[in-house]
Amino acid sequence: MDLSVRIGELLMPNPVGAASGVFGYGEEYEGLVDIDALGALYTKAVTPEARAGNAAPRLADTPAGMLNSIGLANPGLDAFIADKLPALRKRACAIVVNVAGKTEDDYLRVVEGIEAEEGVDGYEINVSCPNVAHGGMAFGVDCALIERLTRRLRDAADAGAKARARSGGPSARRPIIVKLSPNVSDITASAKAAEAGGADALSCINTLVGMVIDLKKKTPTLAMKTGGLSGPAIRPVGVAAVYRVSRAVALPVIGLGGIGCADDALQYLLAGASAVQLGTAIFARPEAPADTLAGIRAFMEAEGLERVAEIAGLLR
Amino acid sequence: MKRFDAPVTSLRPIARDYFELRFAWKAEAGLPLPGAFLTVRAGGQYDPIVRRPFAFSCYAPDRGEAAFIFQKRGRGTAWLSGLRAGDSIDVLGPLGKGFSPPPPGSRPLLIGGGIGLGPMLYLAHQLAKEAARGSFEAPVLALGFRTEAQLPKLELPAGTVLCTDDGSAGFHGSVAEWLWSFDSSVPPALFACGPAPMMAAIDRYAAARNAPYQAATEQWMACGVGACAGCAIRLKDGSYKRVCADGPVFDGSLIAWED
Repeated sequence: MDLSVRIGELLMPNPVGAASGVFGYGEEYEGLVDIDALGALYTKAVTPEARAGNAAPRLADTPAGMLNSIGLANPGLDAFIADKLPALRKRACAIVVNVAGKTEDDYLRVVEGIEAEEGVDGYEINVSCPNVAHGGMAFGVDCALIERLTRRLRDAADAGAKARARSGGPSARRPIIVKLSPNVSDITASAKAAEAGGADALSCINTLVGMVIDLKKKTPTLAMKTGGLSGPAIRPVGVAAVYRVSRAVALPVIGLGGIGCADDALQYLLAGASAVQLGTAIFARPEAPADTLAGIRAFMEAEGLERVAEIAGLLR
Repeated sequence: MKRFDAPVTSLRPIARDYFELRFAWKAEAGLPLPGAFLTVRAGGQYDPIVRRPFAFSCYAPDRGEAAFIFQKRGRGTAWLSGLRAGDSIDVLGPLGKGFSPPPPGSRPLLIGGGIGLGPMLYLAHQLAKEAARGSFEAPVLALGFRTEAQLPKLELPAGTVLCTDDGSAGFHGSVAEWLWSFDSSVPPALFACGPAPMMAAIDRYAAARNAPYQAATEQWMACGVGACAGCAIRLKDGSYKRVCADGPVFDGSLIAWED
């Protein structure tokens, strides 16, 4: 049985990844999760400069889910390379760096900076960030912008691969995976824009905008008022998005949103996903990624499948 | 730090909406020290999805038992309050950094408000044992409540000061007011856990007395291990710290209590 998944030139050892933001840089979960057994680790977002993050409270409990407004708190590109990357390089799983920024140039700086480094296998582009040049409206709601940003990042990563090859280093072309926002009227339009810009794959879906109001205080619970909804509550939204997106584009789709066990992951794989990510569920059950992979393997055995990609073909 | 399923050994109400939950502690997970905490999955597999954090209120290695005190406030704690001895809870811990010892020659003053009584009670027992061996004075524990009905039915250390806002029991006033009335000729070392206004009042007292102040903080948490940065708390310099991994015990003079 072959559990590996190909995303561009990247071969992930298996289809189960840990989603960006939830899993830090891996080290925090040392001893609780067998990190090397993951298919991929998607890092916390990296921005050019260090970011302290949003005002607190940043979390709220919701039915079968949670809201967060962390504000991309991270140590910045230089500290990521100096302090986090050395341990990540030693991991057996694929390392996908989640990239965020306030301007297109911010994204470019992160990708260019990391292209000079070994030990990273791909980039996941968070287009849900507010775009400063466009009055804070998210990059992900403007298709022309998604296409242009994707193209610039693809070009930067191509240039990086060539430069590494010239210096005798690993020359693999790292995939650009665009993480789509569900907070748009037609997610397939975003998907097509990323494809036109040269994306190698898509992650589907980021969190949904939500608000919780504290009745005692009569204020929104989150300091930033709204946040991103995640957890089982959004799973049907994610499965539908993957179903539609995987039929609208020819790219591999990585499904996420409310996956906590193999049955959840299989819904995404049947809907057309090539791989999956677990996010919020890891908070509740750090062993969830390992259980999910074991369940996918058992399903493939029972169905007599040789490769993960065959799962999508079973959908009637 | 380990995740394990622990049998509940007892769950008892100690005041209105307050409970003490005792459970079997797995020694391999590490020592649950005062100020450190655990998270518990409170309900079904993924609903609620966020584990609930609680500070340890005791650890009895001879019985292999640890405990925490909680207040029934939401659906997670409502679920916990329905547990019985013999039920199992999904525990992750010990997590976070606990208290440091008080300076030699000081008098530890331990202040607990509301649910903050759990870690303070644990610390009081611990420091009383250590004080007997000599480097600092015997600790004084002071606990604040709104009214007598909230006083916990718990075995408290001898000399514990009880304060009620309405004067129905003990000192009439807040624990911070009691603190100002406490005539300590010995340099105090402050330890506290409770609501932000109380923590801010203790910060002012500690600054006035030039006393060290170790504050145990609380915040909503998601991962509990330092990965997600959800449990941020603001410092006076405008930066943020993670309660779970940088704390939950901080130098109380650095925290922006009056946000």
